[in-house]
Amino acid sequence: MTVAAGIGYALVALGPSLTLFVSVISKKPFLILTLLSSTLVWLISLIILSGIWRAFLPLNSKTWWPLAILIFTSVAFQEGLRLLFWKVYKRLEDILDAFADRVSKPRLYLTDKMQIALAGGLGHGVAHAVFFCLSLLTPAFGPATYFVDRCSQIPFFLVSAIIALAFVTVHTFSMVIAFNGYSEGNKVDQVFVPSVHLAAGMMTLINFASGGCIIGIPLLFLMAILTLMHCGRMVWRRLTENQRQGNS
Amino acid sequence: MWKSYNFPVFLLSESSTSTLQEIAMKNEKTERAYTTNVAEFDVVMQTTKVGTHDSESCLKEETCLPLGGYSRKKMSFANRSDVYSYGDITILLRGGMLRGGSVWSALPPIDRLSSNQSKPIILAVASMDAQSFFRDKSLGADSPISGMISLLAAVDALSHVDGLDDLNRQLVFLVFTGEAWGYLGSRRFLLELDQQSDAVHGLKSTLMHLVMEIGSTGRGLNQGNKTFFAHTEVSSASNETLDALKLAQESLKSDGVTISTANSSNPGVPPSSMMAFLRKNSSTSGIVLEDFDTIFANKFYHSHLDDSANINSSAIVAAASLVARTLYVLASDNKNLTSSALSAINVNASLVEELISCMLDCNPGLSCELVKSYISTTNTCPNHYVGVVLGEPSSTPHPNQVDDISRFVWNFLADRTSTPKGDTSVCSQDCGKKGGVCIRAETDGKGVCVISTTRYVPAYSTRLKFDSGTWQLLPPNSSDPMGMLDPVWTESNWNTIGLRVYTVQDAAYDRLVLLGGITVTVLAYLAILLTRAYITKALKQD
Repeated sequence: MTVAAGIGYALVALGPSLTLFVSVISKKPFLILTLLSSTLVWLISLIILSGIWRAFLPLNSKTWWPLAILIFTSVAFQEGLRLLFWKVYKRLEDILDAFADRVSKPRLYLTDKMQIALAGGLGHGVAHAVFFCLSLLTPAFGPATYFVDRCSQIPFFLVSAIIALAFVTVHTFSMVIAFNGYSEGNKVDQVFVPSVHLAAGMMTLINFASGGCIIGIPLLFLMAILTLMHCGRMVWRRLTENQRQGNS
Repeated sequence: MWKSYNFPVFLLSESSTSTLQEIAMKNEKTERAYTTNVAEFDVVMQTTKVGTHDSESCLKEETCLPLGGYSRKKMSFANRSDVYSYGDITILLRGGMLRGGSVWSALPPIDRLSSNQSKPIILAVASMDAQSFFRDKSLGADSPISGMISLLAAVDALSHVDGLDDLNRQLVFLVFTGEAWGYLGSRRFLLELDQQSDAVHGLKSTLMHLVMEIGSTGRGLNQGNKTFFAHTEVSSASNETLDALKLAQESLKSDGVTISTANSSNPGVPPSSMMAFLRKNSSTSGIVLEDFDTIFANKFYHSHLDDSANINSSAIVAAASLVARTLYVLASDNKNLTSSALSAINVNASLVEELISCMLDCNPGLSCELVKSYISTTNTCPNHYVGVVLGEPSSTPHPNQVDDISRFVWNFLADRTSTPKGDTSVCSQDCGKKGGVCIRAETDGKGVCVISTTRYVPAYSTRLKFDSGTWQLLPPNSSDPMGMLDPVWTESNWNTIGLRVYTVQDAAYDRLVLLGGITVTVLAYLAILLTRAYITKALKQD
């Protein structure tokens, strides 16, 4: 694709992440560090998954169930990693709180913890976008364009950029929900995140049907909006609870 | 074909042509208004780039090379690629330089050591290069390769005849290259003959008794009968040849072979190497044997479609038989000529079939047994384009300076004209001193030394001179100011040639995408600001 179109596709996939970084993350150095290490961890997880699945290639693209197994195992692996990520974060939180106590400074506020979760989630989203979208764009610069037979209305790169945008949203806010669910012991939140991740993953299989992307992509965005709304509700609830606690 | 066009023309393989047709159809019935399928040509000809549009200027600027025989190795600017494929399109490029040289051979071998060289010479001539609009697809099956195959088969038939030493006249076979490009092969040969250079040692123009040229013979089949025509310039001097032809025809009556003189309402010779001989000496006795009378029988003359489907092997066999027996009659000069001796001269039809499949087909092509027994080559598809001259032309080129077809013809003729059969030894330094040559040097260890008079003759325009590393153009003859009779043909230097086809989007669509990306980013930014403002406001409320 041409340079103009390439920048366009990259902005579609990663523009909102960029704005989030600039307006929220970049203000606090600790968040930048969290973002970077999170991106690294989730990129490594994707590389490990592709390394393991390399042995089973080429997958028969005529039937959908090998791909379903691929998605299921990948989601399961990543959710397991998220739990581990949480455990590491908890250790870190305890260390930071102990340090704050020693120097008689205030402990982490709720908003701080949420921002750390947001940075972690953003790292996950960026890793996904880089792995699944940017890696396709960088070698494709040139005069030509490319259309896939099964989704021939819009260019292939645009399709992948839009899907990447949906997933970035899902991952970013899922982390906030998940961290909150683990810290509160809220079962609903704890189940919500893996379910949404799995559902979003499985929905991409709809794109395999001829013309399926017309249905698949809006459904993906539905998932993203669902995640956004749930996260918003949960954040609002926690903050108002906290407020009341603080005042009482 | 001689017109100049200001656009490139590509010849694609079968599969590429059908791919391109599909893509063109898709362009017709496209559902998307903002995309089209385009083709991108990648071809650079140095002469066009530099602006040297004729031979004289391009030779001076060294942006081109003259056509002809011998080149050492590919030059730095031109790249060799056999098959170039990009995406779905495959182009067959024979690429690189094919080098050539004319070949002559004497049967029986001329004794170099004997100073008494007074036997008159019967010269049998054919040519081995072809031309078409597409340089890499120049097969020339009927014109002139069928004639060359007839000559090679005739040599093979004559090689089995005993007592050629005792005949009154000497047979010499000559296969020119470069004839398709202003007859530069024959012109050069005659010049070398005048200058008595090393390449033509053993031949003298005063000894030339008559010339018999074998033109196209592959289309001589007419309802089961094989008919050929003898074209001649000076009728009286050629009577002897015509009589010999008639004798040969008599002996081949049972095979349905007829030879007739060309219609007198169309006098002279058709375009042929004979024209060069006649220009030198208009009283040269010679005939041109062709498969047509007044108009060409080959409707694919100088076309890439002149392939093995355009010829008939039985016509070639018939012509070869005619030529072999005629040459025997001419060489014996009617001394002790018996019909039994004549009918003993038979052409090997399977040899002709094999030569056709080696020289004019890709399968087996140059990897066939016959060719592989003489030379080693990596090409399989034969191509008869003459190629360019690189470096200084010489009369004793190194085998790797000469192209496949010339090397094969040289080895074949040397093998067939060698005597005595069976008395061969491994090649060594003194092979040449004994009056022998090294054949099968590429395929059989050091090669086999056989006693034969077979030489290469350089082939390039008579108006060119290689002087201190560059080509100099000599001025044309004062009687030929336009250079019509002495043209100088050159080939531009070129780089790898390619063609690719792909889909492009409208620039407007690209800009729309960019706008979309920026919009998404800006909207996200606004959403974040709003959310942050809302949260801080709501938290401060309480």
